[in-house]
Amino acid sequence: MVFLDLLISTLTQGFIYALLSYGVFITYKILDFPDLTVDGSFPLGAAITAVLLVNGMDPYLVLLISAAVGALAGLATGFIHVRLGVRDLLAGIITMTALFSVNLQIAGSNLAVERAIDTIFTAKPVMVILGPMSLMMRKFIVTLVLALLVKLLLDLYLKTKSGLLLRAVGDNSTLVTTLAKDKGTMKILGLVIANGLVALCGSVVCQEQRAFASTMGTGQVVFGLATVIIGTTLFRRFSFVKGTTAVLVGSVFYKICIQVAISLGLPANLLKLVMAVLFLAVLILGEKKKGGAKYA
Amino acid sequence: MYTCFLLGRLHDLDEMRLDHLDEKKGEGSMKKFLAMTMAVVLGMVALTGCGTSNDNNGGTEGETANADIPVIGISQYGQHASLDNCREGFLKGLEESGLEEGKDFTYEYQNAGFDDNIATQIAQNFSAKNVDLMCAIATPSATACYAAAEDKNIPVIFTAITDPVKASLDTGNITGTSDKLPVEAQLELIRALQPEAKTIGILYTTSEPNSVSAIEEYKEKGPDYGFTIEAVGVTQQAEVLQAADSVIAKGVDCISNLTDNNVVGVLPSILEKTNDAKIPVYGSEIEQVKLGCVASAGIDYIALGKQTGAMAAKVLKGEATAEEMPYETITSFDTYINSKALTDMEITVPSDIAEKAIEAEK
Repeated sequence: MVFLDLLISTLTQGFIYALLSYGVFITYKILDFPDLTVDGSFPLGAAITAVLLVNGMDPYLVLLISAAVGALAGLATGFIHVRLGVRDLLAGIITMTALFSVNLQIAGSNLAVERAIDTIFTAKPVMVILGPMSLMMRKFIVTLVLALLVKLLLDLYLKTKSGLLLRAVGDNSTLVTTLAKDKGTMKILGLVIANGLVALCGSVVCQEQRAFASTMGTGQVVFGLATVIIGTTLFRRFSFVKGTTAVLVGSVFYKICIQVAISLGLPANLLKLVMAVLFLAVLILGEKKKGGAKYA
Repeated sequence: MYTCFLLGRLHDLDEMRLDHLDEKKGEGSMKKFLAMTMAVVLGMVALTGCGTSNDNNGGTEGETANADIPVIGISQYGQHASLDNCREGFLKGLEESGLEEGKDFTYEYQNAGFDDNIATQIAQNFSAKNVDLMCAIATPSATACYAAAEDKNIPVIFTAITDPVKASLDTGNITGTSDKLPVEAQLELIRALQPEAKTIGILYTTSEPNSVSAIEEYKEKGPDYGFTIEAVGVTQQAEVLQAADSVIAKGVDCISNLTDNNVVGVLPSILEKTNDAKIPVYGSEIEQVKLGCVASAGIDYIALGKQTGAMAAKVLKGEATAEEMPYETITSFDTYINSKALTDMEITVPSDIAEKAIEAEK
């Protein structure tokens, strides 16, 4: 039972953060754009969520609004980079820095959502279907559905004409120009979608933890990059696996690594070292299959 | 800068392509894929399995030898002298209440390294193991424990939280102790040591709720003691020293510290600057006075931990539930002084304060 409980709650965390990983996958992997906006748009989603929930708004509607506001953050980064000509990293840093203050204005330094307030895990539609289950199982199922639904929508989108153009921007931007399309607009679109997903993730985290903290964004971009790279490295040899599936697994794998490190009962301060070793092992194993060190 | 560097490196490392389709490989790689998935799952079973049996506190299955001894899961937000003192005091408090470790309770200690995500997973780990009580040290850990404990209604006892009401941690199967700063006692102390002083400078992080509420209280009560408050906010640790320069340039008569993690983290560097400028710095607890602050009317975190431990003992003994007990604050404060720092600043301590003060010089 201990193991099952641990597995379920760890998978739940993996599914929730997969939403963020999808976002980073779009910017970093597809657009070839290292987007630091994530550290700001993640808590932005949570801040909006906390305020709206406290004011009694429907939790499912809150998810959509948070994603929409996050998309605006992506729009800001895209505009700064594409239209104002600021370098990609710096454009993200600017938006992220501004969002820190914006988030403080929206929700203060922290905001709690009381247990009496319904979240996506306790509101009516979910209770009608999954009512008899424990909260842990409800969280598991809701986040699983959410992670798969977003993945499917993203996969479908990437097959559309617009999605193909988006992929072309990162791979071969000259092609986009020769097709008489504006690659700048496509980049902005990618950032909008990506940060919408990141804010959606922030919203789910806020609903799950029932709290917003202005510092909760710190390190999220590093997490996102790690999951994207772990996921794609794990599935390097399996060409039939889609990129979105790979990062979903990457996110779950990351959370499992942390839980394993916690469960091993090592001295608490060694936790991050253990994680680093686990990641390194994955990356080295992924590299080896391809024929040894690349940077010798 | 580090993040930028990291991003660059990650980018270099990662040149692979996912979406090139190779039809021939399809079947073979599917098998490998399944094999790898199995390996990951088995690995996790093995690791978590051995982890729980090592800790010897998988209470749910009733198979472990000491399954009937209550297990306490201690989740501490990060390593920090005050928080460590809380934990130490908590365990002492349990023993002072007549509970013996290993006989009446066992505990598992986890530390999140100031990472909210890890705090969440630690809390879930405790919940999965069905611990009998969670002890959460600092607000983010308490929020995570409370969320993870909701399903199984595991009691949560917190400590080192300034404002449990604002954090919505004051109702439900949760209670504990608050480490709200004794602002009035501190103002009184500063007035006694520096009768001529007019302005107090304070550095704080705008995103730390504890600091923000303390600043409000300083601004509200400062005028009662004849002080104006010159508060300078920062958003991260890297800005603290610049903010210290600006406070010194404003010509404050002294600086008073909060329990602000970013500010306390660079306290030795702040003290170098203030010593040059001959501005006394007042701490908010004993550890800061040891580092070279002149004095403090502060919380003894070990005492706070002990008080928390006594509350946890009541829950474990079944004398009261966490739901029934309201959260507690410390009402008595100690005065700590650092004689060397006081001499350097040419401050003489009035005899009535000197008598009850505790010397905290290193």
